[in-house]
Amino acid sequence: MSEAVVPPRALWVPFPLGRPLGAVNDPDFQKNVLRRALGLLDTAVEPTIEDYVIETPDDGVSENWVCPVNLSSATSDSLGERLLAEVAMLRPWAIETRHQRGRTLFGVTGAGEDQVDDVARALATIAESGDVISEPLVDGISWTFEMPLLLRHMADDLRTFYHEAVAAQPGESAPNHDALNQWIFSETVLGETLLLVADGLTRASNVPMAQLVRGLLIPEGYYKGGSAFPEEVNLAIDP
Amino acid sequence: MVRLSDLHPVEAEHLLKRAKDMPAIGPGDWVDPPSVKEATVAIVSTAGLHRRIDPPFTIGSLDYRIIPGDTQFDDLVLSHISANFDRSAFGQDPNIIFPIDRLRELVSAGEIGGVARWHYSFMGAMPDPSQFEKTGEEIGRLMAQDGVDVAFLVPI
Repeated sequence: MSEAVVPPRALWVPFPLGRPLGAVNDPDFQKNVLRRALGLLDTAVEPTIEDYVIETPDDGVSENWVCPVNLSSATSDSLGERLLAEVAMLRPWAIETRHQRGRTLFGVTGAGEDQVDDVARALATIAESGDVISEPLVDGISWTFEMPLLLRHMADDLRTFYHEAVAAQPGESAPNHDALNQWIFSETVLGETLLLVADGLTRASNVPMAQLVRGLLIPEGYYKGGSAFPEEVNLAIDP
Repeated sequence: MVRLSDLHPVEAEHLLKRAKDMPAIGPGDWVDPPSVKEATVAIVSTAGLHRRIDPPFTIGSLDYRIIPGDTQFDDLVLSHISANFDRSAFGQDPNIIFPIDRLRELVSAGEIGGVARWHYSFMGAMPDPSQFEKTGEEIGRLMAQDGVDVAFLVPI
């Protein structure tokens, strides 16, 4: 993609998406990436794409990660009850991460930091009813997105809560992006809920935006083994 | 940004198609900046990064959010639309996509001249980057007024 844009100076890095500076909590590694990129200002005399060949150190990120918290719940319960039970089991660890960091990324939907249950309950109701168009009414939340795009950010808020929970839990390694996706979509009620919401978006075939939101809801490869995007992706769709 | 071989095959195929379909933009005017040791640097992110008080980005957003240099990390969130990158790293260490602390350290060490007062954020995942031309020119003009010599573009 950089080749199409022809930036004046670009440093290609081999790091996973979401980690452009390479290694978390490693100021020296991050500064070396910056030095190499900014160094192009003194060396490049024409549009240049330079490869950065230094890999990140092994910082305990693993694709073979296993969640140490037992999330199993009574299968006879409703989806909403099981999702809330799962959230409750993760809550102590999510609180711990928030305490350690002094911050959270939860709340992009407009929900307050203490309204995780409300978002979970609303998403489970949507998954069970299949109504992916009507805005969920929740006391105390003024949603910052319209439906159905809101669904994508409800998913993100809840995934943030889950990610923050497992960031604090005991274990020898942290999950990478694939391990997090495997866990969410293979082992959690949240994953089950998101896939049901995706099915609801599929059924809303008269709403073009719904098909696009399905692709934004489920990571590539996790919707029936393939892509959740429609054949033609049009990001210019008027929401 | 990431080897295709490190992505899920479906995502790799999707990105390859996107790259193939991306219209060529071509080089802009060549500008010789001052020496790095004297340059003032601003961050331009395409991570959908913004403060909590800002309206979130939406699909196809072509506008931008400002991030003042003194913004605290607990005030920053992401509303990027993609489900295909790892937000947990930003949760662990915001410098991984918004390296403001690292720039300040380089200033203290005398390796760069300064850090801009304002930084800028966009929504990425735009199939046609030329859509950003108008806004890009506008923030280029604003950065020049702010004494910025170098825009450090950080994709997600």
